[in-house]
Amino acid sequence: MDTSSTSASQPNRSTGMANIRYGVYNQPSNIAGKTIKEVRDQFGKIWGIPTDAVAYCGKDKLDENAVVQPGQNVEFHRRAGEKG
Amino acid sequence: MDTINNPKRFILVGAGGIGTWLAAGLVRLLEWKFPGSALVIVDGDTFEEKNKERQDFTKLGNKAVVKATELVPQFTKTTIIPIPKWVVDDSFSGVVDEDTPKIRATDLIRENDVVFAVVDNFAARKIIFDAAAKLDNIDVFTGGNDDDLFGSIYHYQKRDSQEITAHPAEFHPEYHNPPDKNPGELSCQERSEIEGGTQLLATNMAVASFILGRVQKTIVSNQSPEETEIFFDLGLGKSEPYDRTHSYLNQNQTVNV
Repeated sequence: MDTSSTSASQPNRSTGMANIRYGVYNQPSNIAGKTIKEVRDQFGKIWGIPTDAVAYCGKDKLDENAVVQPGQNVEFHRRAGEKG
Repeated sequence: MDTINNPKRFILVGAGGIGTWLAAGLVRLLEWKFPGSALVIVDGDTFEEKNKERQDFTKLGNKAVVKATELVPQFTKTTIIPIPKWVVDDSFSGVVDEDTPKIRATDLIRENDVVFAVVDNFAARKIIFDAAAKLDNIDVFTGGNDDDLFGSIYHYQKRDSQEITAHPAEFHPEYHNPPDKNPGELSCQERSEIEGGTQLLATNMAVASFILGRVQKTIVSNQSPEETEIFFDLGLGKSEPYDRTHSYLNQNQTVNV
């Protein structure tokens, strides 16, 4: 389900802390009010988040223009280990 | 919880880099926690000399048969059954019978099994998870690693026809469109051309250990599978659990930060 209710076109851009996760990384950060694209730009290089890693909040897929809400738990899905 | 009178059937699919180490743990767990249980080892592949760098075996030959032959004399309270076959999907168009080295996942897995999908490709994992999803009571653990020090595990659980944890395809597009092919659906020539990569022993063993830890918590101790998916990186010395239970995913996803 897309969370279009939090798209960037809406005025609700409350700033503050939210939580971002990717693979082994899990960090509270001052990202509330930023779009998913902005968060990806900020953490993509330091955590190695691929450009095609989809952002989720629980089961809900977040599009690139979705705005992170205070206290929200945002996860960029990491590909699982393949070999064995 | 009394585990003594509760024998299990563990199905280990894949006896390679992860599977040989996991087998050593699973058989001990069954022998002492669930005596009278069965460990079924499934693999159509063969051990080769080059596998010794990171796989645990003493003879060359079919992986399921060799591994079972090694374990049988050591563990008398556990029935160890080798199935030297590749697991294929119900839609597999080739011949699948007693004489071919193939077995359908739906013929292999049954109610109340605990399945370990420690193969080296997403295509075979998906076949196993999809077969398990048709059952009412099932646990499937999977794990894998990259060619370095990263790995991950996942636990899919159903009870009384309800999914306790989400099917991994909900979080992993690689299950919908596997970038690889199930070796069971390839010819011998095509299988021989698959590169094994440059995996590391430490990562293979860590995946096995993480899975064994989850079995201890969720099967032996019968606790919640809320650490459903775990990512780890031995290079960074980090691991991180993710809750994929439906009871958690259906909650409001906010945290105190």
